[in-house]
Amino acid sequence: MTIDLVLRGIFSTFFLASVLRICTPIIFPSMGGLVAAAAGVSNMALEGIMLWGAFTGVFVSANTGNVWLAVLAGCLAGILVAMLLAVAHLRFGSDRFLAGLAVNLFSSGGTVFLMFSLIGEKGNTSTLASLSVPNVVIPFIHDIPILGQILSGHPVFTYIAFFSVWVIYILMYRTRLGVHMRAVGENPAAATTLGINVHRVQYIALAISGLFAAMGGMSLSMAYLQMFQREMAAGRGWIGIAAVNLGALRPIPTLIAAMIFGFADALANQLGSLKIPTQLVQSIPFLTTVIGMAVYSIQQRRVAIERRKKYASEHYDEMPEEATQL
Amino acid sequence: MKKFFDSNNVRSALRIILALTIGLTFGFIITLLVSDDPIKAYTAFLTGPLSQLNRIGDWLEESLTLIFLGLAVTIVFNAKQFYIGLEGQMILSALASGTVALYLPVDPIIRVPAAFLAGMTVSVLWAVVPAVLKAYLGASELVTSLMFNSIALRLFEYILRTYLQLPHVNGIMSERVPEDARLTTFIPNLPFLQETREAWTKATSVSWMVYVALGAVLLAYLLLYKTKFGYEIRAVGANAKFAKYGGINVNRTIVSSILVSGIFAALAGTHLVLAITQRVVQGMAFGFGFEGINIAILTGNNPLGVPIASLFYGYLRAGSDVMERVSDVSRELVFVVQAAVLLLLTAERLLPVVQQVVTTDEEEAAHLKKGSVK
Repeated sequence: MTIDLVLRGIFSTFFLASVLRICTPIIFPSMGGLVAAAAGVSNMALEGIMLWGAFTGVFVSANTGNVWLAVLAGCLAGILVAMLLAVAHLRFGSDRFLAGLAVNLFSSGGTVFLMFSLIGEKGNTSTLASLSVPNVVIPFIHDIPILGQILSGHPVFTYIAFFSVWVIYILMYRTRLGVHMRAVGENPAAATTLGINVHRVQYIALAISGLFAAMGGMSLSMAYLQMFQREMAAGRGWIGIAAVNLGALRPIPTLIAAMIFGFADALANQLGSLKIPTQLVQSIPFLTTVIGMAVYSIQQRRVAIERRKKYASEHYDEMPEEATQL
Repeated sequence: MKKFFDSNNVRSALRIILALTIGLTFGFIITLLVSDDPIKAYTAFLTGPLSQLNRIGDWLEESLTLIFLGLAVTIVFNAKQFYIGLEGQMILSALASGTVALYLPVDPIIRVPAAFLAGMTVSVLWAVVPAVLKAYLGASELVTSLMFNSIALRLFEYILRTYLQLPHVNGIMSERVPEDARLTTFIPNLPFLQETREAWTKATSVSWMVYVALGAVLLAYLLLYKTKFGYEIRAVGANAKFAKYGGINVNRTIVSSILVSGIFAALAGTHLVLAITQRVVQGMAFGFGFEGINIAILTGNNPLGVPIASLFYGYLRAGSDVMERVSDVSRELVFVVQAAVLLLLTAERLLPVVQQVVTTDEEEAAHLKKGSVK
């Protein structure tokens, strides 16, 4: 009976539409993480940058009344925080994990600190009249019975998120900058000898990743909800990093991984209507991420062993003894 | 004198002091910007913990928790594992210890050790999956341990709400731990200490965990520097490939370093529930997530530095609490200051001024004049 309810829920247009909406704040940081990782500078501060984007968007929109100005400001805030990370890591030689953690600490503490200083609240900005971005009704598709309900009428960020996958794809594979990024990510020394300014490329990559992470944050605070909450990124930045891992630095597989995590998230929401304890249901996306990482790692390991075996069988004579013992 | 300034320890100490000074100055500038009475706020921040006995108690209590967290991170960082699942382990061991202390129907002499043991067991078991995934499959321990933190927080809330929740109260909390299972004061029961003992017991919850903490510091030091296991941890941290060729079982060392650090994280959780909050309560480990990392970085992963760093950051935490109570500045300022310090300390090429000035012997001075960097 209840399972029936869930199944019917999952195959409803409402659920599929909600998957798209819930995916949005995961796709953005995934794409941001992808660009940075492709250039060899994994951005470990996505979570924190999302918070700054969400925070700035809410406060600027409440104070100016202009949604697009707020989005712009949020993007700039994201880029700025990413530049803080970039300077620490690239200019001053901070370990990227530790610098990333420092930026996250700065963000989770700093946003709450500022929120308290500005409006005297520590939990959320529900007292603030902030704005949300408009929903988009796609002219022709909207009128198609089922497809229209699934695809049309989402907040503009949802469309930007999917569009950004295409943008990232073009950037990485069809532009000079993208080729440079991948070259730098693959082998910085070789890239240098080709005359590529490695640090410059990495600065740009981190700036782009900050921009995307900030949009992810704003899709939470200006579309999914209409306010900022402390720690509202709730691990999505980290899930984005996991998606980049699973996607093996390619846009489409990264998108698929992000959507699987988004699906788990939406499923958790759907199960929330049942009598299963919400706290356990809320753990599903995190558990899915861990399982995804485990499965991917097992598969990677198998591929590596296969490759080594193949190489060993082809080059048996030339190899040192220990390398042939697998 | 030159030799004194040349020593690496002095140089890194100066670097730490400079980073802390810059961090606190940065905090002050922020306070100037947001507060109506910045001097009052910052004075409360910097001197608050010393103003009353109960605040001194707060400071020491915070510091004790930080010592255990700092030691836990120190151990995994020595193996170069970015495992940061301590928050989850800490809160689940607090839950386990609290439950045992509340409901295990045995004599307190057995119940308290059982509570400690329960905390450690849960904490170590919780770390098994991320540790094994990292060691044997190469899955990023950073991401998996963070995911496990998120799961742990929800599991904690679920168990607390479902099984331990006190009826008819506002707030999500269990019953109070019975008095005989709470940790007693660290001041020994001697005739001439009677008055101090009573005053401290009344105003603070500083327990005999003080001695446990000192023992833990010593234990972590001996473990890392005087045992084969510690040598293996440091070898893996220095260069995993090299360690492997040296005959060290790298995967096993990674797993056991993470599991052993779980024991220290458990002590933090047990301390929290049996001495500080004295009940299992929602949000009890709030804001401790990064502290272990802060401490470990401040000490350069040296366990012997952990008590000093913990006293310092414990002081700032207690101070930020006082500041929030008496002024319009929120306690989250301390996280911003800590983040600044963390960034400054991890930036290898930052704060070179100190390094250059103190390394100036004649030869290097000549180098510097020529503009070449050694």
